[in-house]
Amino acid sequence: MSTSVIFPAQPEQILKGLSRLWTSFGQEEKQQGKPTVLRACAMTLIVATDETDNGFESSQVLSELMHEHPSRGIVLSVNEQVEGGLEARIVAQCWKPFGKAQQICCEQIEITATRKNWPTIIPTIIGITVADLPVVLWCRQAESFSPNCSNELRSSLESLMNLAHKTIVDSRAEPPSLAFGTLTAWKAQGRLVGDLEWARLTPWRQPISQIFDNPARENRFSSFTDIEVAYAGDTPSPSVVYMAAWLSAPNGARISLVRARGFGQGLQRVRLHSQSEDITMERISDDTVHLYSTNGRERTYNLPELSLHSLMDEELAVLGPDPTFDAAFARAKELAS
Amino acid sequence: MSVVVQPLPEINPLQDSLRFDRRVPPCAIVIFGANGDLTKRKLIPALYRLFYERRISENFAVIGNSRTAMSDDQFRDRMKESVSKFLEDAPFDEDLWRSFAQSLFYVPGNVNDDALFENLGSKLRQLETSHQTAGNTLFYLSTQPSYYAEVVQHIGAHKLNRTKGWCRVIIEKPFGHDLASARKLNDDIHQVLDEPSIYRIDHYLGKETVQNILAFRFGNGIFEPLWNRRYINHVQITAAESIGVEGRGGYYQEAGALRDMIQNHLSQVMATVTMEPPAVFDANAVRDERAKLLRAVRVMKHEDVPNNAVPGQYGPANVGGQNIPGFRQEEGVDPNAQTDTYAAVTYFIDNWRWAGVPFYIRSGKRMPKRVTDIAIQFTAPPLSLFKQETKAGLLSPRPNLLILRIQPEEGISLRFLSKSPGSGMRLRPVSMDFNYGSSFGERTPTAYETLLLDAMIGDPTLYTRQDMVEASWQVVQPILDVWGVTKFDFPNYPAGSWGPKAADEMLARRGHAWRNA
Repeated sequence: MSTSVIFPAQPEQILKGLSRLWTSFGQEEKQQGKPTVLRACAMTLIVATDETDNGFESSQVLSELMHEHPSRGIVLSVNEQVEGGLEARIVAQCWKPFGKAQQICCEQIEITATRKNWPTIIPTIIGITVADLPVVLWCRQAESFSPNCSNELRSSLESLMNLAHKTIVDSRAEPPSLAFGTLTAWKAQGRLVGDLEWARLTPWRQPISQIFDNPARENRFSSFTDIEVAYAGDTPSPSVVYMAAWLSAPNGARISLVRARGFGQGLQRVRLHSQSEDITMERISDDTVHLYSTNGRERTYNLPELSLHSLMDEELAVLGPDPTFDAAFARAKELAS
Repeated sequence: MSVVVQPLPEINPLQDSLRFDRRVPPCAIVIFGANGDLTKRKLIPALYRLFYERRISENFAVIGNSRTAMSDDQFRDRMKESVSKFLEDAPFDEDLWRSFAQSLFYVPGNVNDDALFENLGSKLRQLETSHQTAGNTLFYLSTQPSYYAEVVQHIGAHKLNRTKGWCRVIIEKPFGHDLASARKLNDDIHQVLDEPSIYRIDHYLGKETVQNILAFRFGNGIFEPLWNRRYINHVQITAAESIGVEGRGGYYQEAGALRDMIQNHLSQVMATVTMEPPAVFDANAVRDERAKLLRAVRVMKHEDVPNNAVPGQYGPANVGGQNIPGFRQEEGVDPNAQTDTYAAVTYFIDNWRWAGVPFYIRSGKRMPKRVTDIAIQFTAPPLSLFKQETKAGLLSPRPNLLILRIQPEEGISLRFLSKSPGSGMRLRPVSMDFNYGSSFGERTPTAYETLLLDAMIGDPTLYTRQDMVEASWQVVQPILDVWGVTKFDFPNYPAGSWGPKAADEMLARRGHAWRNA
């Protein structure tokens, strides 16, 4: 269920609109004589997107994310046709847990502006972030990785990043050197950065790591001196480089990135080689990977393509420093250069 | 006695504690009673789900045991059928099952037969190599309780607890049927295992919402100052079931609500709500506080039992057009059974924090709905400034109520008074709600997933200890003594009602009333 109201994008008017929205829910409860709606908010989640359809996909992801991370969602999108150059819409995203009478509702504010007007949005955002709760920026502007990024956008993004405790990007479509260059610059400014391309690796990384959890295992990780990471596509994606970096960061093992045929694009196979054992994790279908070792152990894992919702869910669960990512990132930068 | 949760040695440079699940060491799990309902409905589905979520070690294996002759493949087929039927909130995946099933094995045999334990030893040694289980073994006793001591004796006699890894034993309830039998069972088991190796399961403690009580109390600063006799008038703990004995009449008529629910689950819940803050959050400190609390519960004198404990048994009724049989009409139940399908007790905790505060605990079958919650009623303001007026007249004062809901709508509600809009100062009760499932949205692990993982990791925080079990038996023992020699005029409540009148009268004597009676 959603309710929407159109306003000029002034913070006070947006906040008044929100207040009216919740009052209307309260009246509905009064009529029904029981609580029907629960308002939930644990953070402000700002999405800066270059989608041209008023941030439709981003709004969809936010509405799914509210189950795990209830938030005040703010979706900023570009529309050169918008009347007056700037407008806002207020939506209540609601869902009813299975078998429950009460709906859980989060508020979402969609702000659309012409490119030229982006810098004027910032004071509005400052006025409508929820006090005392974390602010997260999800940057979905492909241009943000480009060296030719416009001054308006660069300045707007910087202002938004200044507001945010963490900035999340997705470097998937970018050449690794360009992506890591941009992220390095942001990290150098002391910003906390997350990359969905790194989150895509968690279902690969965890089973590999678990192999070495066994204290009785004779062949320790340090004995694996050669690591091969195979990918499909013309060039390795950032996740392929991240994987190689993560595996080589602890001991400086020799890395080779090789092209391979596979299922879809990107990471297809990881092979760890030691003198006495080879361990391979390999995609064997679109949604399954096989992990096997020359010592005879094997296991199959379900590994479907992760949705934006799953990736964001993981990144939003890590709102502080992430030392493993930082170490892998530092090594990935070296490998990509 | 000292329990130390041993962390795994830091040998794995690939660990990512922020994004990976807790590290679970390799191990073999031996389930005695693997052909029983618990294994089919709870244990194997929980293990499959943990496997699905990649939360258990790659190096694990399960050995099922029961008297039924079966091959590994037949056991796997049976378990596959159960998992596909009883798995909650997750799709059944054939490829994953094949991978999971490679770690399932079966060793048939009678638990009082030495040959079984010889075979188990041989299988465990084999798995130590083939599945690299590191000699770690978790035994799960899901047999009839009368076999517990014998199984443990055999484990000791065959040195299955003397491998190069660790050995832990999970024991299902009931742990004894009274104080004397619980003590005897403890003594028998301690001949083979030391206390840190014994994991007495109380699945209520594995429920997320019960664990959340600790977070609520000790993770927030605003509630603890109110959590005492000065501000709390009384506490009601309710565990109501709408179903009857569901084919377990034979078992249930020997147990009853007091033994089946209050002695274990609800006593542990009460201890969680009322214990003192531990100095640190580790297994020993938390369990010490729970045990200390249970030892502080006043043990009734026999003559006090009638005023402070009420048994009930449901009779037949027509509920919503359906004829519901009474307990004595259920299959396998003695038509003159004196079993309590309902029990309500008043406890007092004799310590500085809780002296004089009554704790009303009730549990029953065939009640109007399924609900488990804890209602904490605060004292009324010393002076009533505002009249709560309605068209019908003045409302009686409504004290603040904090409700910790365990199931089915897990969450926390605080009821307080608020001014109704408009002129004049009219108050009406409103509720501030936190809904656990909705606020986090994520799937909540089942109690068995949580508890199995904890046992594999070696974290006994949510398991009960010998002193806790004995303390809670000590509290119910006088009630059992009196009820055991009294002939009650059963049935005394119809199915679909909130229990016998005597339970209402028990609260009325102190000026209280059940919340929904």
